[in-house]
Amino acid sequence: MLAYLLRRIAMTVPTLLLVSIAVFTLMRLIPGDPVQLMLGEGADPAQLELARQQMGLDQPLVTQYVVWLRHALTGDLGVSTTNGLAVLPLIWERFHVSAVIVLTAVALASLIAVPAGLVAAWRKDRPTDLAIIGAATLMLSVPSFWLGLLLLMFFGQYLHWLPVVGYVPMSEDFSQGLMYVILPIVTLVLVETGVLTRMSRASTIEVLRLEYVTHARAKGVPESQVLRRHVLPNAFNPTLTMIGLILGHLLSGIAVLETVFTLPGLGRLMIDSIFARDYPVLQGCLLFTACIYVVINLIVDMCYPLFDPRVSVQ
Amino acid sequence: MNLPTPPSLPPAARTAAALALGLGLAASAAFAQAPAGQTMRIQINSDIRSTDPGGNRDDNTDNVLIHVVEGLVALREDTSVGPMLASKVDTSADGLTYTFTLRDGVKFQNGAVLTADDVVWSWQRYLKPTSGWRCLPEFDGKGMTKVLAVEAPTPKTVVFKIERPSALFLTMMARPDCGGAAILHRSSLGADGQWKEPVGTGPYKIKEWKRGQYIELTRFDGYTSRPEARDGLTGGKKAEIENLRFVVIPDSAAAKAALYSGGIDAFISPSPADVVEMRGRSDVRVDTTPVMTMVALLLQTTDPLLKDVRIRRALALSLDTPEIAKSVTEGLSAVNNSVVPSSSPFYSPVQAGGYKRDIAGAKKLLAEAGYRGQPIKLVANKRYEALYSAAVLVQAMASEAGINIELEVLDWATQLDRYTKGQYQSMAFIYSARIDPSLNYEMVSGDKATQPRKVWDNAAAQTRLTESMVSRDKARRQVLFDELHKQMLQDVPMVVLFNASDATAMRKSVTGFKGWAPAKPRFWNVRLDARG
Repeated sequence: MLAYLLRRIAMTVPTLLLVSIAVFTLMRLIPGDPVQLMLGEGADPAQLELARQQMGLDQPLVTQYVVWLRHALTGDLGVSTTNGLAVLPLIWERFHVSAVIVLTAVALASLIAVPAGLVAAWRKDRPTDLAIIGAATLMLSVPSFWLGLLLLMFFGQYLHWLPVVGYVPMSEDFSQGLMYVILPIVTLVLVETGVLTRMSRASTIEVLRLEYVTHARAKGVPESQVLRRHVLPNAFNPTLTMIGLILGHLLSGIAVLETVFTLPGLGRLMIDSIFARDYPVLQGCLLFTACIYVVINLIVDMCYPLFDPRVSVQ
Repeated sequence: MNLPTPPSLPPAARTAAALALGLGLAASAAFAQAPAGQTMRIQINSDIRSTDPGGNRDDNTDNVLIHVVEGLVALREDTSVGPMLASKVDTSADGLTYTFTLRDGVKFQNGAVLTADDVVWSWQRYLKPTSGWRCLPEFDGKGMTKVLAVEAPTPKTVVFKIERPSALFLTMMARPDCGGAAILHRSSLGADGQWKEPVGTGPYKIKEWKRGQYIELTRFDGYTSRPEARDGLTGGKKAEIENLRFVVIPDSAAAKAALYSGGIDAFISPSPADVVEMRGRSDVRVDTTPVMTMVALLLQTTDPLLKDVRIRRALALSLDTPEIAKSVTEGLSAVNNSVVPSSSPFYSPVQAGGYKRDIAGAKKLLAEAGYRGQPIKLVANKRYEALYSAAVLVQAMASEAGINIELEVLDWATQLDRYTKGQYQSMAFIYSARIDPSLNYEMVSGDKATQPRKVWDNAAAQTRLTESMVSRDKARRQVLFDELHKQMLQDVPMVVLFNASDATAMRKSVTGFKGWAPAKPRFWNVRLDARG
């Protein structure tokens, strides 16, 4: 187990290195000068040059990369060219906002979607199935930003139950913080429940067709026990993979939702840094995102044996 | 085989429902306790870049910091320059010495009294080559003039000696994007000499900056106001509201919902379409003001096709510029084909002259130039919706004269890069407000060989422009600006379309707000009544 873990971690090093090279190169291939953006359209050429020197942007690309990598290896991802803040604490602070929303939403979505998919598969082609799959398809089809805006207008603007803009960390004031994240969480839950329900249903249908299920039923095992003990554990792994992918994707940024709900999360930081050509922040964000994917995939892989005894970690 | 009836509600669903109900109740309770107080919440579309006036800045940064810091002089309502921290300004006959007498009783936000030494210290900091001050080139000899010395002969007197006379010396000092050349206390820097936060003399001081969320200012109780009425960025200033919170809301739909629900009190620069909608509401009022921001169609005069002035002129004649201005701004702005803003005191009847649509004339010019439908790329972006809308209209109108325009939509950073390098055929572009017509012409006029971003490369025009920057005779300057305008209409290096109108939407509970030409919203002398 430990050897497997170490091997997997070692395998991430070349991945992250390649990611860092790709990100570094691609960012600089995009037209747009961060210094020009910072100083505006009327900036003096001498001032532009001075600012480039101060930010190290006058150095050859390879030198810039080596300097950045050397610092990154010591945990120093540089400072933002937009506001001069250290990148790593900035990313960590923003990631915390995204993580609270994403983890809660995915947990709630899983709690709803897995049983719903199971029931839909069990009642395949019956009204219950059609109702569940219809609702899932509808949720899947609605763009998250549109749904977010609708919820915002209904619960914020018309009912005045929830605030429309702002954010308070729950660590500072739990109840106040909670009300700011309810709508983004509900939006994400609705959208992701659709995906997970369909996946859960499809994998359950596959398992329900297998002989050992028929065998268990023939033995007179109660249906609820068949579903709980024989079907769910075997049908859950594909859904678990999907949950892992969704988590990785969402944790790396829910930029659209963060923009709609004015949340200072990682996705918005990334979008802002692209528009501002804030190279250090964007490089840091993407490297961090790659790490998130790696960690989540690793956790998902380690969880497989818990649900399916046929899978072992080697 | 008959399947047994499934349980009515699975345990997970029951848990989710209970959690959802709990969340809902908690939210209702918490929102009901949300504090109101005397805090005005104002939307900004992105976070400020720093608190260093005129340093790392953008429009939002300037808009916040004008409440915190002040300079020796500041812009008046009519965009002329008036004293702010100075009680009077004397200029020597040769225009090389400026003597500022400081007002009595002015205090910094840390309680220290303003002295001439503070002015000297602030200016010495600005004039350091590594200061990063945006306007340094205008004062270190590279641009307008060179400050040779800043001296404090008495605690209330500051003397500036400059190398060559300039009509724009005080204007440059007052520019909001220069941070108004704010006079700061030494404690604005830390012990290591690095920037900490501004300790200025403005009616508000910084209370809290939550990066990416908001910056909150609080009233400076020791503020000494000028005796006059509010006048641009000078005049009397009274912090009627205890706290000003500038909330970062990038999405305009979310900002609009926040305004309607009372989540914010003011929404800066809603789109023209939103302004029309907001005017129909009883709980919101909208202030619209013509501003100096300029929207223009740039034509690259070094381009193989567009170097022929007949094609450029044909393009200008193909456009119904009044209609473009009206359509793009929903009627909020009128056409202006001059670089001099329509709100400028120098906007004369000559400046009001422009292009008249003449399709037949355009076709004739194109035929003479041998134009055969070669495509002309027009760069635009969607960050500034007005530019994209204007570009679409230009494309449609030009096609009526047989001009083949192809739109190229880029992100703002890429477009700005192309603009700086002069790498475009044509471009819909927006220029931020410049206070003086000389500065308006200076931003577009110059030698393309050394500064590719310059749009208009005409030696005679450059001579007139240089004279306008030195002359302190207003009548002579008017003549020069009128000549420049007529020359530009002949050369057609660009077609100025209109000056934008800036809107600020507010809850009805906000009173006393008034927009003005430089598009810098001021929240002193503004009151917040019982929240509506």
